[in-house]
Amino acid sequence: MSSQAAEPDTVRSLDDLDVIVDTDFHLTERQEDIFPYLEDPFYSLLNSQGEGDDYGYLGRVYPAHGMVYSVTVGKADSPTVRTSEDVQKGKDLIEWDKAIATPTQNLYLAAVHHDDLAAALARAYNKWLLDNIVDTDEGVYGALVVAPQKPIKAAELVDDFADESGIAAVMIPSGSVHPPLGNEDYYPLYEACERAGLPIKMHNAAGTMMTRFPTQWQSLNRALPVHVTSHNMMHQVNLADMLTQGVPVRFPDLDFVIQEAGLGWYPYFMRRFDHDYMGAKFDAPMLEKEPSEYLRDQFYVTSQPVEGADDPEYLNSIVRLFEGENSLMFSSDYPHFDFDYTDALMKILRSEFDGDEIKNIYGETAEDVYRF
Amino acid sequence: MAANDESQTTGTADNLHHVTSVDDVDDGERVVVDVEGREIAVFHSNGEFHALSNYCTHQGGPACEGLLTGTIDVDEDDELVWACDDEIVSCPWHGWEFDITTGEHLASDKYRLPTYDVRVIDGELYVEF
Repeated sequence: MSSQAAEPDTVRSLDDLDVIVDTDFHLTERQEDIFPYLEDPFYSLLNSQGEGDDYGYLGRVYPAHGMVYSVTVGKADSPTVRTSEDVQKGKDLIEWDKAIATPTQNLYLAAVHHDDLAAALARAYNKWLLDNIVDTDEGVYGALVVAPQKPIKAAELVDDFADESGIAAVMIPSGSVHPPLGNEDYYPLYEACERAGLPIKMHNAAGTMMTRFPTQWQSLNRALPVHVTSHNMMHQVNLADMLTQGVPVRFPDLDFVIQEAGLGWYPYFMRRFDHDYMGAKFDAPMLEKEPSEYLRDQFYVTSQPVEGADDPEYLNSIVRLFEGENSLMFSSDYPHFDFDYTDALMKILRSEFDGDEIKNIYGETAEDVYRF
Repeated sequence: MAANDESQTTGTADNLHHVTSVDDVDDGERVVVDVEGREIAVFHSNGEFHALSNYCTHQGGPACEGLLTGTIDVDEDDELVWACDDEIVSCPWHGWEFDITTGEHLASDKYRLPTYDVRVIDGELYVEF
């Protein structure tokens, strides 16, 4: 090694970075942008001179979720990004060197009811993207959008467009997929992406994806993926609703115990909810303090099944992040198949938590919470 | 904070900074001005003037250039009601709602837009700092 070792790289501001790549820079394409790029039969069907009667709401082939967001009521702006000039404005603000353009309307592509139309819309979107947006001289790259309703056509689309300049990825609008993405139906698509050397971006769409959950459960057809995801998802759904509707405000002397979902999701959920609430106070007017404060004050968590018990740094951090010394309560789940032996948790926590805190977790907190 | 009484001219010339004429800001409107390097918005709302920093304490967005409206609150029966009409400005970047009469972020007391006293002297608007 040289005696004159280079200064270690220090990064104090954006100016110290050699490159900034924005991996999710959204366009706000509209149906009217895409329809001219459709191929027949859908071009002729949807670009006809006949206006039809959409009864005031059926004119959109993408499903409308009907949710009232801050953008819907004008409390937050969502700048239009439908031209190169629009992209430039975003580039100037975010200061990226390269960006991968992703859609907005087509986040809902997997929820388009007509499968063949969905595949045609994907092809039309990508043509519009290449014609109007992608510009490698300016660092503007695109993700090919595919319609998961038609995996074979999606694979063909990747084959057809992969060599176009400026295509950096493939995006599956994953929020409303049916079946879930482990299904063998998608293997031709994966093969095409692997062949093309394009990574697959998975991007959900908040408005409609939960409508797919029952059919997705049916399609999982194994126990493992259900067990891994469903406990914490269900708790998040219930807690989010309880907080939004002000349940802990309405019942301030009531405690709740959250069981059997592991731990890592809980400090995540606290911060995720607080984060969204910051820009959506009008949507939860019952709340008088930050949502996570209600969780810390009135909600408790039982320990089993402890994930990451072979990773002290992880587990100790996670428990600290939700102040588990005050809210975590030991549970075994005996005799269920994933029960925790009594000292599994303690073996880790004793490296971080003091005696009083561990006593809380193993019994003192429960002595307070439950009516013995 | 608002202080709209013309007789309260307690500020000295050094700490009063001219904004514009009162006539230039109709009720329901606002002006955003640069005063010695500070971007300050002066709102005329419900007969009062309110001055706040235009720099969002969240991520630096132009907090006072967004929608000026009210918000949804709950009444004593926990029914949803429209409240604080024309007193809530939302930062256009992320929709954070601020009360222009206090600078407070509706969702959290961790964040607040700095406010300035407003003086009206001979039909002219001044902010004080």
